[in-house]
Amino acid sequence: MATLTAELPREDPKARVNSTLGMIFFIGSWSMAFGTLYLSFLILRDRVDIWPPEGIVLPNFALATAGTVVLLASSAAIHAAVRRGRTGAPGFASLWCAGLLLGLAFGVAQTWLWYDLLAAGGAPQSGGYQSLFFGLTWVHAAHVALALIALMWIQYGIRTGRYGPHRISTVQNTAMFWHFMDVVWVVLYLSFFVF
Amino acid sequence: MSGDHIHAEPTSFWKKHVFSVDHKVIAKQFMWFGLLWLLIGGLMAMMIRWQLANPGMAVPLVGNLLFSRTDGVIDPATYNMLFTMHGTIMIFLGLTPILIGAFGNWCIPLMIGARDMIFPLLNMLSFWTVVLGGLVGLYSMFVPLGATEAGWTGYPTLSTTVGTQGSGETLWALAVFLIGLSSIMGGINYITTIIRLRAPGMGWMDMPLTIWGMLFTAVLNVLFLPVIGSAMLLLIMDRVFGTTFFVPASIMSGASGGDPILYQHLFWIFGHPEVYILILPAWGLVSDLLSFFARKPAFGYKVTVGAMFAVTLLSAVVYGHHMFTTGLSAMLGESFMLLTMIISVPGEILFFNWLHTIWRGSLRLTSAMLFSMGVIFVFGLGGLTGLYLATISTDIFLHDTYFVVGHFHLTMAASSLFGAFAAIYFFFPKMFGRMMSERLGKIHFWTTIIPLTVVFCTMFISGYGGMPRRYYDHTSASYLAPLQHLNVITTTAAFILGAAQLIFAWNFVRSRWWGAKAPDNPWEVGTLDWTTPTPVPHYNFKEIPVVHTGPHEFSHPKLGDRDWISQTDKLPA
Amino acid sequence: MNALRLSFNPAKTLTRVLASSFALFLFSAGVSAQDVVNRWGPTPSASSYGDDFDDLFWLITALVSVSFALVVILLVVPLIRDRARPGKKASYDHGTSLHDKRFTACVSILVFVVLDAWVLVIAMEDLQTGFWNYPNPDNAATYKVEVLGQQWAWNFRATGLDGEFGTPDDILTTNTLTVPKDRPVSLNFTSKDVIHSFFLPDMRTKRDVNPGSVNIAWFEPVIAGDFDILCAELCGFAHYQMYGKLHVLEQDVFDTWEKEASLMAQAAYDKNDTEAHWAWEWQE
Repeated sequence: MATLTAELPREDPKARVNSTLGMIFFIGSWSMAFGTLYLSFLILRDRVDIWPPEGIVLPNFALATAGTVVLLASSAAIHAAVRRGRTGAPGFASLWCAGLLLGLAFGVAQTWLWYDLLAAGGAPQSGGYQSLFFGLTWVHAAHVALALIALMWIQYGIRTGRYGPHRISTVQNTAMFWHFMDVVWVVLYLSFFVF
Repeated sequence: MSGDHIHAEPTSFWKKHVFSVDHKVIAKQFMWFGLLWLLIGGLMAMMIRWQLANPGMAVPLVGNLLFSRTDGVIDPATYNMLFTMHGTIMIFLGLTPILIGAFGNWCIPLMIGARDMIFPLLNMLSFWTVVLGGLVGLYSMFVPLGATEAGWTGYPTLSTTVGTQGSGETLWALAVFLIGLSSIMGGINYITTIIRLRAPGMGWMDMPLTIWGMLFTAVLNVLFLPVIGSAMLLLIMDRVFGTTFFVPASIMSGASGGDPILYQHLFWIFGHPEVYILILPAWGLVSDLLSFFARKPAFGYKVTVGAMFAVTLLSAVVYGHHMFTTGLSAMLGESFMLLTMIISVPGEILFFNWLHTIWRGSLRLTSAMLFSMGVIFVFGLGGLTGLYLATISTDIFLHDTYFVVGHFHLTMAASSLFGAFAAIYFFFPKMFGRMMSERLGKIHFWTTIIPLTVVFCTMFISGYGGMPRRYYDHTSASYLAPLQHLNVITTTAAFILGAAQLIFAWNFVRSRWWGAKAPDNPWEVGTLDWTTPTPVPHYNFKEIPVVHTGPHEFSHPKLGDRDWISQTDKLPA
Repeated sequence: MNALRLSFNPAKTLTRVLASSFALFLFSAGVSAQDVVNRWGPTPSASSYGDDFDDLFWLITALVSVSFALVVILLVVPLIRDRARPGKKASYDHGTSLHDKRFTACVSILVFVVLDAWVLVIAMEDLQTGFWNYPNPDNAATYKVEVLGQQWAWNFRATGLDGEFGTPDDILTTNTLTVPKDRPVSLNFTSKDVIHSFFLPDMRTKRDVNPGSVNIAWFEPVIAGDFDILCAELCGFAHYQMYGKLHVLEQDVFDTWEKEASLMAQAAYDKNDTEAHWAWEWQE
């Protein structure tokens, strides 16, 4: 499927709109999914007078913050990469690679966060707080994992010349989804660690 | 796939018949898939009816084969599994694949003048995802403790490990999740295709109403299936990881926990739009078919579109009428009552337009037309009985009785099914190049609608009499034994109804391979799909058509002898 | 057409089979189960607000029947009169004239007012004066009962003579609820396990019984006698067997019963049987 730039026809501008529209509807749909999970969080949290509940082990704030910073940096790198890719400026491949590596680092930070909490005795079945924390972050992480595979696929495509100013919509759409993952994480982070 | 170029036709068996990206092949795949599951779900209904009319008696013929452990008798746990899987199968694996998967796929590109769906690969994935979902659901029936028994609604805590052990329920939730995923993929495809691939000259108000129905259904699918998807994820997590989203701590110990009512809110925020998801394709199809076979324009095209749009918009804010007895606050309950009554108004407008379409028409009473008129009949009956249930003071008594079962079968099952039958009889010549027997179709119609009306109207009487639903046996409670005769009537009519579908099955299979060859446009209809040759080539249109006329220009005074005109032709000046 | 060369005509045969089945169905319509008298509706209402349900049900039935009859007429007339015939032309009408739009609007408003608004107004009144008109908890005449649903039985707790829940003289019963006539009965519900629903068809009331929260309901029985309690929310394989009896006693008979039951409960009280000590703070 991967071919050289010269052999791949230039992307039809109409096709660019089509796939972007598709991705927008997809993100709209997935907003409803995460919105449902978040609504559940709000309702269950509202039931409890004291939040977080007293006496339980909380997930590690430092780890979560580090993960958030890394993920935001990843989005920034991806965004910069897409701009370079659109114009043909140098740095498309390396910035995308940076974004991908930072995304993988986020995955590591998340896994560490979970292990840390599990080791300290906070399991999903321990109660409402843990149910919400693990439930929501796991669903988010499952999507991040799939998105990382997409990022890797794009990286391969950039390196083989499949993507560039002549063919950029797949890259843009994947980046859009990645930023969406970022936004969802920021909401989760603020909900569990700040407010 | 946008643009004018025509792709080469696939040659390998797998790419042509199994993993095809051609919307027409995928449509047929969805159709066979849906018909198979309708058969399975229908047989389950027959077993349920047998048990209710003859409590504790062994099921004849297949009893010893299916229920050997209990000597052919359906035991209470199995009975609960039957009605649970019946509901799940009919909705998710029967009606959805046929109305939305099959006819959405068949109609959309052909009616708007496109070569295929805008994302053909996604289309193919959508079909195979629903197959996977079906397999998971099927598998769930064979695990050690059997399939789920918690109702298609799956309320916790019965559906959590508090009420149901084993993997059957978890697999059920996973199956629903996968099927939902398939519909979301389809929905994104349909919406984008309709927006982007309409042929030149086909404005929004020149599309057949079928397309509008599919569009609104797709919007609801894309917005609300994620809600139940998430609810299923939470349920799965409660069952597998011991989380407490829906499992409450005992109120007597005072500790905090989850909320089973939260599930009901999430379920019905999806669940009510779901019933509109099932009916909107039928509404769109019927709006077109009534015009086609009355040889008259669809009365009030824009108003019909507006009514369907209004229903789509309101569908999410009426869901609380499923929860009137759960202990909702008075204010919330009354709001849902008012909104539910309001949403009936656009529905009534549709009726007005349909009846006005056939009034003073020149009716060609084909099978497709009979079933379309049948939709008006069954949906009228079912829809009006919704008033009893929208009204809180009557719903308190009627909730969870057979009154509700009668209501939703008429509105959701019968109406959608009649819409599907109408569509099958109508599109069959173009899909398979042969004609179905019109005589058998008419017999099918009358032997279906009469017993069907008896089955579900008797349920209204049962429900009014206080007969609860999801009961294994109505004779053990002294309050209910005097209602048993109603069960006998319902079951007898249900068996006749079931047998009548054999006529359809026979007609379908026989015509598919041995039916008379169909002309290119047997119904003399002007929409773009009927401008193609039969069989339809893989690229649909040699040249993308240019649209000059609306889809319902029948009996225009300037047309002379003919009473129809193709959308690619111009009306005489 | 008969490509399979069958010796019989399947269509004709099936039609005959179906026609005879239909005849059988008409015959079976009179069949009844066991030695009971067939019922075609609910038993007479036995509560103070029960008639509200019956009356509104019949009003809706009248409205819905008229509407449906209209739909059927508008379906049948074209079916017969407007059939395609040689030379018959359909009228060409898109329904976009101002007259048509006005007519549609008028019909919609009329339908909403007659079918929906009228019913809505009556329902709101019924709710406010009946179903949701919860009795004053401080009123001594209100008879309070806590209901604990479980798979698959109804547990009831009455206060006994001291009027307090959670005391040794609380009257505990299973599947039998005894209440006085002509006094408001106020109920609290919760469940031990899964969701159930407390359905009193004679009293025309129903309320879900949820684990983890307390629901409230009330009714006032106006006829003495034995009535039925049914479960109305799927709760497992014995859902259909979760059946109870409601005994409504005349005031003097009830007083005697309550005194006896309360004293017996006091005597039988076992402070070590913690499972029997279920109770919660009364909710309004």
